[in-house]
Amino acid sequence: MDENVIEVENLVKYFDGRCVLDGINLKVPRGCIYGLLGRNAAGKTTMIRILFGLEPSTRGWAFLLGTESSRLSAKVKGRIGYVAEGHNLIQNYKVGRLVKLCRDLSLQWNSEFFAHLIEMFHLPMDRRISQLSIGMRAQLNLSLALAIDPELLILDDPTLGMDTVARRQFLELAIDLIQQQDRTILFSSHILSDVERVADRIGILAGGKLVVDCALEELKNRIKKFRLIFPESAPEDLHLTEIINQQIQGREMVITVANWNQQKQAMLDTFKPSNSTEMPMSLEDIFIECTKPTTVTTAPQ
Amino acid sequence: MQFRIDNASDRPVYQQIIDQIKRDIALGRLIKDEKLPTVRQLAKQLAINPNTIAKAYRQLEQEGIIVTKPGTGAFVASLDSNLSKSVRKKIVSEELERIAIEAFHMQIDRQTLLELFDSAVEKFNLPPKKEK
Amino acid sequence: MFTLIKREIEDHVAFFLGAAIATAILIVLLVSAVLNYDPPPDIPVYAVGLLIPVIVVVVIGLPAMGVSQMYTDRNRRISAFLSGLPVTRSQILVARIVTGVLAILIVLAPLTITGTVLRDLLLPPIPIYPGLIADMSVTAFLIAFACYCLGLLTGWTSSRITPTLGALVLTCILIPLILVKGFGLHIKVILILFIIASLVRTWQKFKSTAL
Repeated sequence: MDENVIEVENLVKYFDGRCVLDGINLKVPRGCIYGLLGRNAAGKTTMIRILFGLEPSTRGWAFLLGTESSRLSAKVKGRIGYVAEGHNLIQNYKVGRLVKLCRDLSLQWNSEFFAHLIEMFHLPMDRRISQLSIGMRAQLNLSLALAIDPELLILDDPTLGMDTVARRQFLELAIDLIQQQDRTILFSSHILSDVERVADRIGILAGGKLVVDCALEELKNRIKKFRLIFPESAPEDLHLTEIINQQIQGREMVITVANWNQQKQAMLDTFKPSNSTEMPMSLEDIFIECTKPTTVTTAPQ
Repeated sequence: MQFRIDNASDRPVYQQIIDQIKRDIALGRLIKDEKLPTVRQLAKQLAINPNTIAKAYRQLEQEGIIVTKPGTGAFVASLDSNLSKSVRKKIVSEELERIAIEAFHMQIDRQTLLELFDSAVEKFNLPPKKEK
Repeated sequence: MFTLIKREIEDHVAFFLGAAIATAILIVLLVSAVLNYDPPPDIPVYAVGLLIPVIVVVVIGLPAMGVSQMYTDRNRRISAFLSGLPVTRSQILVARIVTGVLAILIVLAPLTITGTVLRDLLLPPIPIYPGLIADMSVTAFLIAFACYCLGLLTGWTSSRITPTLGALVLTCILIPLILVKGFGLHIKVILILFIIASLVRTWQKFKSTAL
């Protein structure tokens, strides 16, 4: 069995001359819950669609369960549950008809579990998809993906439209799934608190690049923000690598650095700041820092 | 066991769980030899990744605060930590330095800080002096 | 595969009903015309004369069906949804084409059977070379299939009108060509080549677009 259920190699995608993905490299190991974060139009949906073969890449490769994405066979797809963004499904079908279609086309189907989900979410079988609220479509979409007992779940903004209770139900379902052998989940979300609860690895897409790709528990240790006061004006160049953000105003500098380590600490110390405070960062703070365009600004005196 | 995950915190989730278990033990809400929920149970209950919980449990075990018995589960350890005294003192003094820094920034004077410290010690019933 | 075909049929039931009705009308016309003529008419000429209405039905109905299948897919993002299931794009396209063929057969098969029955009933004085009906049916099928493929080819765009009109125009060019050339082998070969070319192009387009 492959160790990595999802592999992306140097993925590049251009849309109408605009670069949306600029050389993405990603490996998601089996058993992992991977949270993919990024602002709107950062390329999360594009990347997920390329993974599933719905969109061709401009350059580079993507692999799901060892198979190249543009050549996914029905058999491989049968092991993957997919929730596409927007929860469109097939608008003019009735829920019951759509369910039957999925059931008939799926390679395996857990009727009992599906019935349990339908009940839990109170989904009406005889209404048209277009008449359901987006939250209910999200719940239906998720139920259809889970009913096939998937080895790999790929979810694009699965909780869009869901209320708080439904979102918690989704998280619980995700945890239930992951506790079974060899299951993997990749999901993109805007709700950082949800991601922080359930993900073990996290990726942040910004500017077409994967600016962060690490274990969640390491993230807060790796990205550090400092407020530094220098005896005279702050130095223009600290000779530090991987600066995410830097703002200078007179003697004060606020700097955010990735992959903080002892060498960087030593480097910083050589500039002898008179005062150095670490500013605590929540996941939201980290996300905002990482998705700002990289700036090194110097305010006038 | 009730846990709150603070998403605005700068501490990773596993660290928050460790903190809260330690707090519960110190407050007497969890007593010696009491069985903790399994990783699976807690993951399901809180909707938190089981690896996060496992990591918290592993670290607690390393610090000697809990013991895991294969096949049975995790239990609150006796309060005799297996870390050496010097290591324990070091850990606590680092924490105290953090508090001192906070107090400095919060402009809490020495007297007030000591008063606050005393009431915290009261609250958690620290023994006055431990026999070696 | 069966599920996919069933889905296509259910979504385009109107065309099947239309095909059945058209066939029924044509059979009635054919039977009544043949039985009411005294003396029995010159069958080959008459048969060609009746084929014109069939061709008209085919010219309008079949490209429209092809266009409709592709257009509704694009519009309602049906293949996009199906691609999330254990189904390949090739399977979707094959099911679509099979559905088209079934619709064609609903029109042609009863007509062919009726024609054969009538020929057997009215033989001997009528000079029909053996296999005329078979020949006509095969050619009719190829014409119908070619029209349908045209619909499929042009339907995979975002507008509804352009492909239908385009298909109709092209079919109108095709028909005089057939009438000029007759039912011989030449026309069959041209049609088969056309069908292959348009299916290959459709398959290429369908496989490579973003869903």
